[in-house]
Parts: sequence; structure tokens; C-alpha cells
Amino acid sequence: MTRYSTLTELDTDWIVSWAKKVNEDKVLRVIGKFFTANFVIGVDDKDFYIKVRNGKIEMVADELNANMMGWQFALRAPASSWNKFVEPVPPPMYNDIWAMAHPLHGKLKIEGDTKVFWQNLRALTWMLAKMRPS
Amino acid sequence: MAKTDPIIGRYVYVPYAGKEYRTYYEENGQGIPLVCLHTAGTDGREYRHQLCDTDITKNFRVIAFDLPRHGKSIPPQNFYKEEEEYALTSKFYSEFIMAFCEALDLKKPVIMGSSMGGNICLPLALNYENDLTALIAIEACDHSPGWWIDPLHHPHIHGGEVCATAVFGLMAPQSPEEYRWETWWYYAQGGPGIFKGDLHFYSVDHDFRDLCRKISGRVPIVMMTGVYDFACTPEMTQQTADKIRNAEVVIMKGIGHFPMCENPEVFKKYLMPVLDRLVEYDRDRRPAASVEYRQSREEAPTRGASKRW
Repeated sequence: MTRYSTLTELDTDWIVSWAKKVNEDKVLRVIGKFFTANFVIGVDDKDFYIKVRNGKIEMVADELNANMMGWQFALRAPASSWNKFVEPVPPPMYNDIWAMAHPLHGKLKIEGDTKVFWQNLRALTWMLAKMRPS
Repeated sequence: MAKTDPIIGRYVYVPYAGKEYRTYYEENGQGIPLVCLHTAGTDGREYRHQLCDTDITKNFRVIAFDLPRHGKSIPPQNFYKEEEEYALTSKFYSEFIMAFCEALDLKKPVIMGSSMGGNICLPLALNYENDLTALIAIEACDHSPGWWIDPLHHPHIHGGEVCATAVFGLMAPQSPEEYRWETWWYYAQGGPGIFKGDLHFYSVDHDFRDLCRKISGRVPIVMMTGVYDFACTPEMTQQTADKIRNAEVVIMKGIGHFPMCENPEVFKKYLMPVLDRLVEYDRDRRPAASVEYRQSREEAPTRGASKRW
């Protein structure tokens, strides 16, 4: 049975523990070799800033830090969407960033320089999948 | 000798609109011709499981071909001098399918296609009903917008990786990792701009919203859609089928946009009842089809009268 009832607390601790899992991943060292960007994960009105260098998350912040010097793209969605995305077996239309962002569904918005998003889609998709229980 | 697949691959020179297209196809089996259409930007390898499945090939001559510019089918001559971006149209696609069938001298085949191969079943049903036995439209609907987008063909973006990853989420998380990543691999091997060009048909040129009602319903059409398909949702398929006389809908649980290759075992559970009915439906007109099968079917219980064909 798919677990919908227990919501993940999408807070700073959650982002930090996800970043730790990302940085332990050995595949990202290969497919993320050239993934260098700053991006935003927006949950409701809360923004988390992610600084990625060569596939590793160097820094996460819950407010825009002067050292980041801006960001390239943002993935913004309500907590209700992110909560479905991070389920062990996400339900249809919530199992993928592009699925949620597709114009037919509009469950997530991709903002900013979307070219950077598409350039890094493979590594980014792998990275975001680490939000789910392994 | 090591294990081999029973699939035979060949090239046929398909005449179409004054040109000859060297077209690659794979086949196995005997009986009713079952022509399989691959999805956008990839090729006939998507059907490798069905091509090897004796439950299918004992009654069907399964044929999967690569459209020009896909897989092992080379582009037309002088493609490098084309002055317009490649953009597949409903006219070329439907006419080429029929030209391929004619080139192989296939009599009243069953057409089974997925995604754009499913969508093209609607124009085929409208324009070629006398030439076909039935249509199995997988992940199909009358209008599927939102995919003809530049990031899929852009010099600053790795085409193979972006096309493959853009479709990865169309597959169900329940489908085996092995097959999902094999499908990803097929997509990563597409020619530059071909996936996007195919999506011109899928999202732009194919608009059957007002044409569905013109389909006579004389050719059986079964529409099969997986619940994880976010490009053509079960609701989109159902809404389309509601407008087509005699169309049937099969909603497949735990599977996405690529049933035949992302999870062939689950797909088979849904497909076999359809194929069994087609053999029954077709057998009077196919005395040369598998005698062994006909004998086994004659011992089988009679099917319910509720089915339309």
C-alpha cells in the first residue's frame, strides 16, 4: 500500500539530511561531474538554496547567502506536491520533476534560467530521487 | 551455441512519394501481421520482448520497423541540406506506415503503436479502415500538448541525456529498474532533433479532438493506457475513446508510458486477452493462420457476448 498519510517535515533538517545522502552517492560523482550551479528548492513560501559544485552539494541555506551570488533556477511547489514526490513509491503525476512541472499538470514551477535546469537534468533527477527513503 | 533471440532483422526499400526509404525491421512469428510502432525518438527495439514471446508469435507475425531517421533506418538522402527543421506530420507518418505494410505485402495487418504510435492509430482508423484488421492504440489520445519544446534539441544541452531523462518519469516506479534504464538508453541514442521533431506530430500536428467522431467504428480499436503516463493520462484516453464509436479502453495499473519495454510482464497480462480476441475475431478470414492454434481455440469456451467484436 502506498503511504500517503505520514507527511515529511520539509524543513532545514530535511534538506541537510538529503544533502548528506547526495554527497555520499558514488554515481553522482560520474554523472554530475559537470553539474555546477546554484538552485532553489521552494516549499510553499520557504526557499532553500542549494550550491552544487561538480555534482556535490557544497552548501545549503535557508536564506540567500551573499556568498552564493544568486541562483540559476528554482523548483517551487506546495508542500503537498513535495510530500507526494518524496513518498517511497510516489503516486502518478508526482513521481518526477518534469511530470509535476508539465503544462498539463502544473504541480511545480521551474523558474529562472531553465536552460541550466535542462542541461543538468540527468544528474538533477538522480539527486532529487535521493529525497526518497533508500 | 549460446542463447539467441529468434528475431530476424532485415531491410526493405519502401517506395514513398517518389523516394525510396531503406527501412529496417525486425520480425518473428507467423499468422496475423502485427505491425508494431515505436514511440517518438526511438526505434523498434522497444518491442523486443513481444517479438520473442511465443504466446504472441504462435499466432502473429510480429513486425517492428524503424521509421526513417530512427534506429537503423537512415534519413532520406540530402537530409543535411534540409532547410527546415525535421518535424514529423500526421500525413507522412500514416502514409509511410501504410507504404511499409504494402512493401512487405501485408494483408490487413493489426497495427499496435505506443505514444505517437498510439496517436497515429486515430488517423489510421479514419483513413484506412478497409486496409486494417484492428488497432491497438497504447498511451493514445486525441490531443497531447506540451512536448514540442526547444530544450530537447539545443546545442547547449546534451540531446541524448535530456531526451532520455525527460521521458524517464513517464515510466512507473514499480517497473523493473533494468527495463526502465534500457528504455532510457534507447532514448539516449536518438539522432539530433529527431525526438523533438517527432513531438511536432505528437503535440502539434496531431489534433483529433474534432475528428474522433468521424471514425466509423468498423475497425476494432482498443486503447490501452498506463496510470503513470503523465503525457497521456488515463482520463485523456477515456475522454478520447468516449468520442470514438466502438472504441474500448483498458487502463493498466502499475505501468507508465512505455508498457511494452518498461514492464513487458505486466503489459502481457493486459495485452493477451486483447490478442486472443483478435485471433478469434480474425480466424474465419485467415484459414492459413496457425492450424494448431485454431484447433486449441475450438476447444476453448465461447467468449461473452458483451464484447463488441
